[in-house]
Parts: sequence; C-alpha cells; structure tokens
Amino acid sequence: MRRLTKELALATAAALALAGGAWADVIKVGVIAPTSGPYATYGTQFRTGVDTYQAIHGHEVDGDTVEFIWRDSGGVNPDQARSHAQELIIREGVDYLAGFTFTPNALAVAQIIDQSQTPTVIFNAATSIITEESGFFVRPSFTLWQVSAPLAEWAHGQGIEEVVIAVSDYNPGIDAETGFRTAFEAAGGTVLDTIRMPLATTDFAPFMQRVRDAGPDAVFAFLPAGPPTFAFVKAYNDNGLPGAGVQLLGTGETDETTLEALGDAALGVYTAYHYSPDHDSPENEAFLAKLFELHPDAVPNFSTVQAYDGAHVIYEMIRAAGTDGPAAIEAVKGLEWISPRGPVQIDPETRHITQNVYIREVVRDEDGQLVNREFETIEAVPDLGLVNDY
Amino acid sequence: MSSSASDVAPRRPLLAGRGLLWEAVILAVGVGLFFLFPYDLGFLSRILIMIVFVLSLDLVLGYAGVATLGQAAMYGTGAYAAGLIAIHVTASPLLGLAAGAVAGAGIAFVSGLVLMRAHGLTLLMLSIAVAQVLQEVANKARPLTGGADGLRGIRMDPILGLWEFDFIGRAGYWYVLTVLILVLLFLKVVVNSPLGLSARGIQESPERMRAIGTPVYWRLVWIYTIAGGIAGVAGALAAQVTALVSLEVFNFDHSAEALIMLVLGGAGRLYGAVVGVAIFMLVEHVAAAVDPFNWLFLIGALVLAVVFFVPAGLLGLPKALTGLVRR
Repeated sequence: MRRLTKELALATAAALALAGGAWADVIKVGVIAPTSGPYATYGTQFRTGVDTYQAIHGHEVDGDTVEFIWRDSGGVNPDQARSHAQELIIREGVDYLAGFTFTPNALAVAQIIDQSQTPTVIFNAATSIITEESGFFVRPSFTLWQVSAPLAEWAHGQGIEEVVIAVSDYNPGIDAETGFRTAFEAAGGTVLDTIRMPLATTDFAPFMQRVRDAGPDAVFAFLPAGPPTFAFVKAYNDNGLPGAGVQLLGTGETDETTLEALGDAALGVYTAYHYSPDHDSPENEAFLAKLFELHPDAVPNFSTVQAYDGAHVIYEMIRAAGTDGPAAIEAVKGLEWISPRGPVQIDPETRHITQNVYIREVVRDEDGQLVNREFETIEAVPDLGLVNDY
Repeated sequence: MSSSASDVAPRRPLLAGRGLLWEAVILAVGVGLFFLFPYDLGFLSRILIMIVFVLSLDLVLGYAGVATLGQAAMYGTGAYAAGLIAIHVTASPLLGLAAGAVAGAGIAFVSGLVLMRAHGLTLLMLSIAVAQVLQEVANKARPLTGGADGLRGIRMDPILGLWEFDFIGRAGYWYVLTVLILVLLFLKVVVNSPLGLSARGIQESPERMRAIGTPVYWRLVWIYTIAGGIAGVAGALAAQVTALVSLEVFNFDHSAEALIMLVLGGAGRLYGAVVGVAIFMLVEHVAAAVDPFNWLFLIGALVLAVVFFVPAGLLGLPKALTGLVRR
C-alpha cells in the first residue's frame, strides 16, 4: 500500500506537471456515462443536468474553475469504465469522478478510487451495495429499496391487502421485489404470487392471466425502461386488469421520457419515485426555467435532477476541501440542501441520499401533457436496502 | 526404416514461415507503447486482451472457415472461471489464467460436439444460442455470480508473487503483453501443425479433405476447442485486470465486434487480428474522446469503407493498392 501511495504521488505529480501546473485554477471532474448507443439518453440527461447547474451556479468555486470531462462507457462495460477511470485520474489528472448509470461499471472503479482517493459521485447506479464497496463513493441518486418499500407501506395504508409482484428477472427487479415484499408483509399485507419475467420478453399476456387468476387488489411491477415497460402497461390494459379492480403500482415505469409514448394507457397508474418535473417548489421552478432556457427540447427526468444534485455535491466538496479527496468525503457527510426534488441530505453513515419519496398518479395537466402528479409525500427516506441478500 | 522415413516430406519446423519477425515487431511495439504512453496503460491492456480474443476467433473463422457469432461464450466462461477461482480458491493470476483456459476449452469442446455438425446459418444461430444460454445461467446463478450487479470481490495476488497489480496498470500491462506474445507463438505452432494445415484444407474444400481421409468433424472440434481455450484466456485476463465480471461478457455484441475487428484487419492471418483490433479500438477511443455523443458515425463509416474497398481487410491494403496502380 505504501508503494502504491508512492506511485500515486509520482503519477499525480507527473499528471500535474503535464497539466502545466494548473492545479490551483482548474479542478477537473471526469464523468463516465453512456453517451452513445441504446442508453445514450442517460448521458444526455446527465449533461443537461450538469449544464444547468453550472449555468445557475457559475463555473467557478472560490476562484477555481470546475471543468467536466466526459467519457463514453456505452452500456454495461466494466472493463471500459475502469480503464476510463484510470485514464481520467492518471492522465487527465481529475480530482473527482462522477456519472455511472450501471452498477457493474461503478463497482469496477471501486478499487481504483480507493487507491487514488478520488471522491466519486454516482449519478444513477442504484444497487445498495455500491457505497459499501469504497469509502469514496457518494450517491445522490436513489435505490430501488428506497422507492419500493415506501410504496408498499402507502399501498397497504390505502386498503390494498393482497398483491402480486411481477418483476424482470435481474438484480434491479429482484431488489424492487424484495423491497416491496419486505415492507408490504411487515405492514400486514399478503403477497399472493411473485412472478419473475424474462428480461427481454415483450409478451406479457400469460403473466397478466396469472395476475388475474390470483385476483389481487394490486400488481406491483418493475421493468427496465423502454419496450418492456410499454408492452407491460399495454398488456395490463388489454387483458382488462383495470376493469377487474387490479391497480397497477410501479416506480420508474412512468418516467417522463417514456410517458408520452405510453399515452393514455398510463393514466391512473400509481408510482412512487423521488422526482417528477411536476414537483411544486420554487427550487424546481428555477431549475426547470434555466434548463429549458439552455435546452428547449429537453425532457427532464429523474436522471437529470440526479446529475444536477451530483454537480451540487461536487461543488460543495470542492468548496470545503479543494482537491483533498478524504477531506472532501468527510465534508460531504451530513450535507443538507434543498434540491429541485425537495429537501435532501447525504446520510453520514451510508453516503447515500436521504430524500422524500412521492406517491404520484399519471394525469393530464392543464396543457394536456401527461405528468406524474405528486399527491402524497413520505418524508426523509434513507436507503433501506443494506439488509438485502438475494 | 530409415528409407521409409525419407519418403515422407521433410517435417516443417514448428515455427515455420518468416521466422519470428512479426512477433518481434509486436513485442517491440508493445514495449515501446509502454514508455510512450505511460498514462494509457489501462486502455492499452484492453487492446491487448481484445487481440487475444480476436486471435481465437481468427483460428476458428480465418483458418478453419467456421462462421460463428458465439465466441463470447468461451470468453465469458473463462472470465467467470478466473473470477470464481480468485474468490473461492486461489488469487494466483497464473492459476486463474489456467482455469480460464480450461473452462473456455471445456465449453468449446462440449458445444463444439454439436456445433461442428452444423453448417452455415444453422451453425451461426446455434453459436449465438450457446452464448445466450450461458448468459441466462449466469444471471440465474445470482448467489454465485452476483447476477446483473457483476461478480465482485476479486483481489489478485502479485504475479508470480513479485509484481503487484497497481492502479496505473503497469504490472497488468506487462502481464497481458507477455500472455499475448505466448498466445501468438502458440498459435503459430498450431496453424503450422498438421492440425492447422488440415483446418485450412477444410476451409477450402471439406469434401476433398474427407476424400483423402481427414476426419473433418473431429479436426474442427479440436480447432474449436483450442480457440475456446484461447478465448477463455482472454476472458480470464479481463476478469483479473478489471477485478469484476459482468453478465455482458456473454453479449452478442462482444462476438460481433470481434468479428468486425477481424474482418477489418484481415481474417486468416494472425497479424490481421492484431492490426484490426489495434486500429478499430484506437479510432473508437480517439473518436469517443473527441465527441462522446456522436462518435459511432465514424466507426460505421470506417467499417463500411473497409468492407467496400478492401474486402480482404487492412492487411490486404498494399495488395489492393498495387492492383489499382497496375490497372
């Protein structure tokens, strides 16, 4: 370890020398995110969020310019994420890392950021274990436990006694399933059936029949955004589940980038999530005003605001500790601020965000646009997922 | 006895061809890159690992003429084998590498028994299916593999107990470069061996090879198994250097991209794989750094240009150009 520290010192010195001794005036932040391919929307949303933050709060912190350097990770590609992180830290001399849409990509840099002591702000990747893998991770995004457990409690409070859980058969789906089930059963409800659906399927009719046969009050679903979500919501309507009195409950299924494509099929779906652009607060209004000024065609969603808050966390770390990684991490623990999504805090224990979770219903707003309208708030929810084991 | 031996054609030396010139050049370039780009060793290591992987495809496609889109099956198996060995048995890199090779060869042998009976499109579809089945197995075996979160907790011991994997990637780079050179030498022996020569014969005319008494099916199975072992080595290297294995090691894209790189460089020549991977990944890296949002256009244009203008791959470029001048 001592040898590594020495190597690190040498490498950093070399990198700084290369950067033209510019270490007092430019602080670099490397962002690793998908900016091409099927997940490029994440990259675009992150960029919009960071742009908006810098436009509102300036490009300088205490006289130091903050520069974001973008690297494309494509999809899930831990090899690439790791070599990007190496390049950014060693050659570009970045003092902070950020981004990460997918869990494996974030996990792949854990050893590196430990060794280089680089604070790394997760803009999305939502598996609870991530922040345990390195003390240099900070996560102002969300976890699936964080949104699905409050939804379960709320649903039970609404008189929903029996549910069927239907999730895609991969880790996020199973996180959502476990989170919902744990909270729902703790509240006294009954899970009639759990369906794990193949990740790539778009034919949900057989599963809908299973749900119908079980005759629950509601079906809780988690699917990856995109075609599976469209097909699932469509199958829910086509198979007459709304008429049979089965309420659809979800989390990110009605995210704003998929909402218009879902159309009327989404009306009346209840979800629990941490951000809707429809959120009514002056902070959100200011955020959206600047965002639409910069990018008139943008469709802001949860990942935009996560990147916006991520930029805030980075700015606050720089303000408190400059380029001193360990000090920056200490400074960020317990940090509180008012985000466009509401009041939030970085939990000093887990370095994960504690935030409000909102229960929303899909409605048409005054302009006829589909929106996720928040109508109930569960305040200050921490990450609930660290008890999770498969 | 001695008279009958003289009837047989003289045995080709094991490392026949133009001597070891190419290997020496590749080694020299590899060493040179280490000193020229000390800050890009992570990326350079990825190129070298990809070369090992594409070499394995070259043996199957370029030499034996078996069109497959499932080479990731062996790569992924090797990666998971090396990762699991490192976590549960021993963190020695070399043993992990051996485990990757054995696992890759094992999967290739078993699937090869079926695949090598098929041809053309059927073979193509079956090879894709093998990789997809393995991916779903790894997804389902969550307690073992970590599922979609990836297999984490890999901590490698120093190589031979001497060189520790550092985060700059120096030890990793030398390690990967050494393995690549060894794989190249091994493949050179293989393609010049009777097995390799009969593979070429099978590519040109399976019927004729059968007529002169070559057990075509078994030769193909062995070639596929050897290539599987090499793909497994590539997967193991990636697992050890990245210290994480994700389900995406089995991705179709992975097999397809390897094929594109091989075609780009020129199939059927070991150096085609080297050149193709190096150029493809370099262009990709630079383009993606310059414009992270639109770089795929450039890659598409590059591949189209090669397929249209130099179908034999970039190694066929000199020949194509002289042909153009003579005309």
